[in-house]
Amino acid sequence: MNLPPFFRAAAGPLKLMVQDRLAVIGLCVLGFIIAMALFAPLIATHDPRHINEIEDGSVLTRGADGWELGESLGPLALNDADHRGADALIVGRGATVWERDGAQWRRVEMPVSTDFNAVAFGPDAGALIVGERGTILSLEGGAWRAIDAPAPADLRGVAWIDASSALIVGAGEEIWRLDLPEGTITEIDSPVGRGFSLRSVARDADGTLLAVGERGLAIRYDPQTGAAVLDRLGSSRDLNHIHVAPGGAALVTGERGTLLRRAGPDANWITDPAPDTRALRAGWIDDNGAAIAVGRNGIVMEWDGAAWQLVPTESERHLRALLIEGENWLALGSDRFVTRTAPPSREHWFGTDHLGRDLFSQNVHGSRIALLVGFLGAALVVLIGTNVGLIAGYYRGRTETVLMRTVDVMYGIPFEPFALILVLLFQPSLLIVILAVSLLTWRTVARLIRSQVLSLRERPFVKAARVAGASDLRIMYLHIFPNVMPLVFLELAIIVGVSIIAEATLSFLGLGPPHAISWGGILHDARLSGAWRTAWWWNLPPGIFIMVTVLSVFFISRSLEVVANPRLRARQ
Amino acid sequence: MSRRTYLIKRVLQAIFSIWIIATILFFLFRMGLPDPTAALITEGLNPEQRAAVRAQFGLDAPLWQQYVLFLTNAVQGEFGTSFSYRAPVSEIVWERLANTMILMLMAIILAYGIGVPLGAWLSWRRGSRTDTAGIFVGLMFRSAPMFWTGMIAILIFGVWLSLMPTSGMRTLPYDADGFWDKVLTLDFLWHAVLPVMIVALYYLGSPLLIMRNTMLEVYGEDFIEMARAKGLRERDILYKHAARNALLPVVTQLAVTIGLAAGGQVVVEVVFSWPGLGREILNAVRTSDFPLAQASFLIMAAFVITLNLLVDILYTTLDPRVSFR
Amino acid sequence: MKTKAIWLGASLAATAALTTPVLAQERVPAVEIYTTTEAYDPIRYEGAFIIAEAWRELGLDVTVSPLEFRTLLDRFYSEQEFDATILGWSGRVDRLDPQFFLGTLDSRQAGLGANNPGGYANPDYDALFDAQSREFDIGERQRIVHEMQDLYMGDVPVVVLFHRDEVVAYNNTAFTNMNAMAGEGLYSEWVPMEAEPVGERTTLRIGGPQEPDNVNPLASTSVWGWKWMRLYYDRLVRLSPDVEPVPWAAESVEAVDEVTVDVTLREGMLWHDGEPVTAEDVAFTFNYYMNSEYSYFNAYLAPIASVEATGDLSVRFNLSEPSAPFATITLSQIPILPKHIWEGIDNPEDLTPDQIPTVGSGPFVFDRYDRGEFMSLSTNSDHFHADNIAVDGVEFLIYADAEGVFTALQTGQIDMTAWRMEPGQIPLAEGNDDLTVVSVPDFGYFHMTFNTRRAPFDDRAARRALTMAMDRERMVNVLLDGRGEVGTTVVAPVNAFWHNPFVERFEYDMDAARQELEDAGYSWDDEGRLVR
Repeated sequence: MNLPPFFRAAAGPLKLMVQDRLAVIGLCVLGFIIAMALFAPLIATHDPRHINEIEDGSVLTRGADGWELGESLGPLALNDADHRGADALIVGRGATVWERDGAQWRRVEMPVSTDFNAVAFGPDAGALIVGERGTILSLEGGAWRAIDAPAPADLRGVAWIDASSALIVGAGEEIWRLDLPEGTITEIDSPVGRGFSLRSVARDADGTLLAVGERGLAIRYDPQTGAAVLDRLGSSRDLNHIHVAPGGAALVTGERGTLLRRAGPDANWITDPAPDTRALRAGWIDDNGAAIAVGRNGIVMEWDGAAWQLVPTESERHLRALLIEGENWLALGSDRFVTRTAPPSREHWFGTDHLGRDLFSQNVHGSRIALLVGFLGAALVVLIGTNVGLIAGYYRGRTETVLMRTVDVMYGIPFEPFALILVLLFQPSLLIVILAVSLLTWRTVARLIRSQVLSLRERPFVKAARVAGASDLRIMYLHIFPNVMPLVFLELAIIVGVSIIAEATLSFLGLGPPHAISWGGILHDARLSGAWRTAWWWNLPPGIFIMVTVLSVFFISRSLEVVANPRLRARQ
Repeated sequence: MSRRTYLIKRVLQAIFSIWIIATILFFLFRMGLPDPTAALITEGLNPEQRAAVRAQFGLDAPLWQQYVLFLTNAVQGEFGTSFSYRAPVSEIVWERLANTMILMLMAIILAYGIGVPLGAWLSWRRGSRTDTAGIFVGLMFRSAPMFWTGMIAILIFGVWLSLMPTSGMRTLPYDADGFWDKVLTLDFLWHAVLPVMIVALYYLGSPLLIMRNTMLEVYGEDFIEMARAKGLRERDILYKHAARNALLPVVTQLAVTIGLAAGGQVVVEVVFSWPGLGREILNAVRTSDFPLAQASFLIMAAFVITLNLLVDILYTTLDPRVSFR
Repeated sequence: MKTKAIWLGASLAATAALTTPVLAQERVPAVEIYTTTEAYDPIRYEGAFIIAEAWRELGLDVTVSPLEFRTLLDRFYSEQEFDATILGWSGRVDRLDPQFFLGTLDSRQAGLGANNPGGYANPDYDALFDAQSREFDIGERQRIVHEMQDLYMGDVPVVVLFHRDEVVAYNNTAFTNMNAMAGEGLYSEWVPMEAEPVGERTTLRIGGPQEPDNVNPLASTSVWGWKWMRLYYDRLVRLSPDVEPVPWAAESVEAVDEVTVDVTLREGMLWHDGEPVTAEDVAFTFNYYMNSEYSYFNAYLAPIASVEATGDLSVRFNLSEPSAPFATITLSQIPILPKHIWEGIDNPEDLTPDQIPTVGSGPFVFDRYDRGEFMSLSTNSDHFHADNIAVDGVEFLIYADAEGVFTALQTGQIDMTAWRMEPGQIPLAEGNDDLTVVSVPDFGYFHMTFNTRRAPFDDRAARRALTMAMDRERMVNVLLDGRGEVGTTVVAPVNAFWHNPFVERFEYDMDAARQELEDAGYSWDDEGRLVR
């Protein structure tokens, strides 16, 4: 291979470019973007597609101006709380137990490491904690004792029957009676027996116990007879929690904003309309008509005597439990919640999108598709365009007519709608996107190269080569081509810019390669979610990246233009 | 070749191009797009009922018959009935085209009105900081995708400052009879401010740079040196002599830009919810509305080809150096 | 050199394959999940990837292919060329009757282009389907409908992924007494009749990104066409906000026997052009529909053998077979058209927009329709229900997209949204004191349908295991922001009377999924790929 002409042709532009300040800036910026694309996985702080969720021991306190988020109690979700007098306990996942210590909460070390689901203080002394895998813990004389369970059931609720016995319910429809201090457990037959999950239990005013669970299941246990019977509360929704006030007012909360309220011990259960249809996880009611329910996404509803009112909270957290002591109201949470459309923070430098995905990482990864499509598309365009131009210009005659008529027809096709239709016809994929941005663009290159070749083929050195017996191919590619190289480079640079914008446009319209992260795609998501009107951190960076990349390419192309067009060079 | 035969040849070529494009489109859409009646299933239609709808759309005839029908109708400017609107396609297309053109023309006029004198001025100040800054700004708006600048403009002027309407062409509802009645209102202009501004900024770069570069070339020509030698004022040289001679490439570019304007800037129409042809074609293809998609695309193509033809004719008239080949 | 090495490797692999014991298990074929594009519905799009990820964990080779909506419908219904597809059914009021959704699992609907593309075939199910559709005793019909849900659930031919709440909003400084309706949201036929103006404007303005394909009652095939037309056409029966059929243009509906229904019209009703509404009009309308090319109502009209006017105000419907949903669906969906206007129109489906008659007898009168921009109706003061209507008219403003609608709502240009808000707009609306956000449960559903004719979905155990591997609760919590619920049967929980809550649930449990596969004879090769 005879390379030197190629090198000679390439060296010129480079030398000239180094003299142009804008071109140098362009080269540096482009180099930076290319480095970003190459090392994207290393630079990105997160997996760009990962939905970031956090679990947190959140505590919300009701203050004068509504509910406010306080300092978290550890990183794990808090599931239940109870109090007696000044004593209070909060239990949660991963054997979390917090004990009231004056105005503070103190972490208590436990003998097991399972998740705790419920806690209940005894009427006079003692306390019980139940949890997954048959965990039952009893507080006796200041120390926690583990009680052996007959099965590793997922225990969800506990309520005291009297000072020395309690009822425990579980997710496999377990109904266990626990007698202290021996710690003997009696399994009570459920009237349903289909393994439906029971989620909460409370002692009713008449001394019986009422357990609630999925599909509207309600089971009443009478300690006198020792039997459990089916009760009907008037809902087939999953019920999550029951609370009964001493005087007999009761509140059951459940999925889909289910609120079942009973005004007194003999009153009927009423299904209240809820102002929000998301899941409610805990409720509290007293005999004077005050009531509150909390649930997913920081929902807090308060009963105003006639209807449930949604109380604004500042939080996205999922509330799971309530601790109500006089004027002191706490709402506790939270299992994994998504940090949606969060502004930039130390954890997420460019903030997060509507699914809590890290935008910095997305922007970094987005450079890959842009450059891939930009350079591959441009290479394809230049490859086709240059060859068509060379062949048409060199051979002339019928070959030229056919090729240039084709180019003429292509000039009649509007680029943007055509690219859109092409992608719609063939389903988005990387290949189709590259084809869509390059299939029409080569028309310009072909015309330009052809007109150059037309004049070059009449030059003496070409004639000389022909006389010397060089083949057509040899003349075309070894003698003529090096002379159109500057023009080819110029076109390459311009088309890289055009392709990057074209790809971004397709992606913005949702026609980019599926599940690929691109700058246009980030903007597409932003617009689709409707949140971009407030989330400036979402739509600002991708556009800046596109602009800077394309601009740097244009700067480079400008100095290439000087190389390609000697008339310009003379004047600068 | 005489000028006359040249013109006839070019016109025939243009017609040939349109025919080729129409043919490719026709088959591409029929082969590539899903059955337009597919969506009716979700409305509870059974296969026989769908077949009846297909017959109603004229899709049960053999493909070549549909093609011949399409061509004969298209020659008469008749594009059939839209599947989704159940209304004559031409009516819809002309309305959308008018919407697109009015937006694009306003933007193009603005861009060239500012770009051309600015380019001339920059060439005058060549090499200075102003020159560099001008080039930088021109290229910057050329590099920023319009959907993004549009979104940012909406964010700033529409949302943060609540200054401008951000979607549509008019405040609804309104009373109007006919197209001009709808357009010649303050309300319309108010709605057009942001989209026109965004498109104009994007287009600004090309007249600016073309004008600047051609001016630089023109400065080297003999007649400028002559004018200088005659002692004319620099400003007069710039605007009276140099600029006039540098206009041809800009005018060419203007014609090409107007031709492409019919295709519109789909993204601008999407971002600003502008009821233009670009958005319509996207919808038509998505819903397999063949008649509407074909007509929209064909009209865009015809527009581009006609304007290109005009440019060629312009060249042969203005620039005697161009030979009739 | 390199090619040689590859050849060697290949032949080695070939011998290895030959020498492995006869027991060799085959890899479970790769599957492709079809879903919508992100632009069409980001929820179904992301949902597909959540499912694919879990299935890959089970050792299945999964690809996700988002398709343009029409292409998706074509592949799924017309060609049945799919492994597993995510799609949805919208909850239209007439689908509250379980007939339609239960029918999507009827094996006689499994042909190309019909409603059961997954090809589920269960003779017992089909028999029960026929039984319920003929059953007039509502308690007994409920029992059969419950049994059907229980029957198919164990086979999971289709997974109801979730029901998505419609979150809409209205401006409470402009109108009150806006009561949302399940499946319809605020844009129900009742809201315009019930809304009470509290601001200056007495015309209710609805805004939405959708518009009717046309307002021709013999050509419109879109929900948006009918949502509008039903305001100015009367029906014999209307469904109340609680979805009970209430007599409307009919004074009474009486079943003479199982296949004969007598309808008596209300007295004194007038068409908007002043002509009286008679039994002739009703008989004409039904016959006109039955004889027309228009197929939108065919399913409702199917049970009717003939309709005749038996007096000035009485009409008799003769059915070809007993039909449980006749009174609730058929009579409540077919609009009554004026005979004196339509009888002269032979090809009504070919009418151009300016030729379409708009004379009805409904509570509102057609005013104008500017395509792409604006529609308006004024209140019909002669209507029998007029005294209960507080608004002077209804206007529908058509915006290009949800963005435009929301801006208009915020600026008070419109009073309510016709279509659900984008997730990102909900918090903004909630933070605006003038706006009341209403969340309405949907009884339509998003589903993943397995192609039960293809491996691995032809195997019940595989379907069950793959269903257990779907974390649908996460989809609801993360993708829907908690605004929705995990699906169970095709009859939604909100449709409480027909829904059977006591069916198998398939909660997310990867261990149970693995167990299910193992029990059915599946295992995993050295690379963790699923084999059988």
